[in-house]
Amino acid sequence: MRNVFLLIRRFSLLLLFLLLQVLSISLLVKYSKSHQARYMELSYELTGRINKKYATTIGYLTLGENNRLLAEENNRLRNQSGINFTRIDTSAKPVKDTSRLDSTTVIRKFLWRTAHVINNSVSTQNNMITLERGRNQGIQPEMAVMAAGGIVGLVTDVSDNMAVVMSLLHRKSVTSVMLKKGSITGILDWDGRNPMLLQLKGIPKSTVLKKGDTVLTSNISLNYPPALMVGTIASFEPEKAGNNYTINVKPGANFYSLDYVDVIENMLLKEQQELERRAKKQ
Amino acid sequence: MSEPIKQLFRFILFLLVQALVLSNMPPVHRFITPYLYFLFLLWMPFFMTRGWLLIIGFVFGFSLDLFTKTPGLHASACLVIAYIRPFLINLLVPRETKELTLGSPGIRSMGTGSYSFYVVVLTLLHHGWLIFLEWMTFASFTYFIGKVFFSTLVSLLLILITELLFRPIKRAASR
Repeated sequence: MRNVFLLIRRFSLLLLFLLLQVLSISLLVKYSKSHQARYMELSYELTGRINKKYATTIGYLTLGENNRLLAEENNRLRNQSGINFTRIDTSAKPVKDTSRLDSTTVIRKFLWRTAHVINNSVSTQNNMITLERGRNQGIQPEMAVMAAGGIVGLVTDVSDNMAVVMSLLHRKSVTSVMLKKGSITGILDWDGRNPMLLQLKGIPKSTVLKKGDTVLTSNISLNYPPALMVGTIASFEPEKAGNNYTINVKPGANFYSLDYVDVIENMLLKEQQELERRAKKQ
Repeated sequence: MSEPIKQLFRFILFLLVQALVLSNMPPVHRFITPYLYFLFLLWMPFFMTRGWLLIIGFVFGFSLDLFTKTPGLHASACLVIAYIRPFLINLLVPRETKELTLGSPGIRSMGTGSYSFYVVVLTLLHHGWLIFLEWMTFASFTYFIGKVFFSTLVSLLLILITELLFRPIKRAASR
């Protein structure tokens, strides 16, 4: 017994080193699962205020770029409005139906909320974005996030006043998208190399592609509303072995200067998931 | 300034520079992530005992992890260099210097050659371990080696600049 104590005393530093090392690595490995929420709360408590100050300061530097993106988006939205369309037939009046009275046919599927980005990274393999809007302000996991230029990612975790978004620039990020031309669906992910290029897979070689073609969110995506801007094709080449193209997509959103984003809730998500789960069981 | 206050000041400064400036920089190349924060551990004074060094290393790394949302990643790398550091110092510094001066590792106390060796070895270790952990899940060997090599180069450059800015070698003649 005495020898054991002597041994422990002799190697106490090595033991301390190993103990702390095991602690850090287990934290690292378990992060994606159960410890995430508690760690997030701690992290916000300690670094939230500094990050917020920093984001406000940096926000000034990117105001110009963000204004341009917003102006473009406003322009796009104004062009969609009903007053732009007319009919030559004078007996018909262009009316955009905005009434929600007939609740049996029209229900709201998507609800948009704005949020301020207070922390953002682009330089690692698994980039996350922190929003200053959380559970108390109606944010839930699995909501979609969109910036002025295009989609940004999915909310993965929320605390009372903050939310963390898994950016498209994350090794585990997978998004269902489609080409605007022909509505061919594929899968968008990121190989972790260049934050200016995302990878689109699953587009068959029979498709006619062009550089600059628009990529939109697909109409079978659970989280994203259909046909939101994702990006444009930067380059493509046929796979050597497979039947598909590998396509590099330039994201529409500017991940370097995220400031304000929209968080999009799919209000029918739970219903759809439940129904599909039930159908699978049968 | 008394030693603990000086160290605390450095702790905060290195942490903020790494978390708010270097980690937020748009990447120059996929091989390059600039790291400077671990210089805090290299600059710790000689009289720190090994146990305290380990604990401070862990706390320091973990504080950065709170910013970067990677629990344990930097803590683990800091622990490695905090553990190896005393061995290297024993190897490089004659016992008398260590006992006589209250100083910390630097060109003045160790000489240019030894100090460079000390910095290069610990930087390589830190980057190697950190990038190894980061890349464990999707290992591509050239990528790993390339990133370790180039990030180490950039870090050494940053360390050199920091050394020249904040701890210039005072010449006897100018005094």
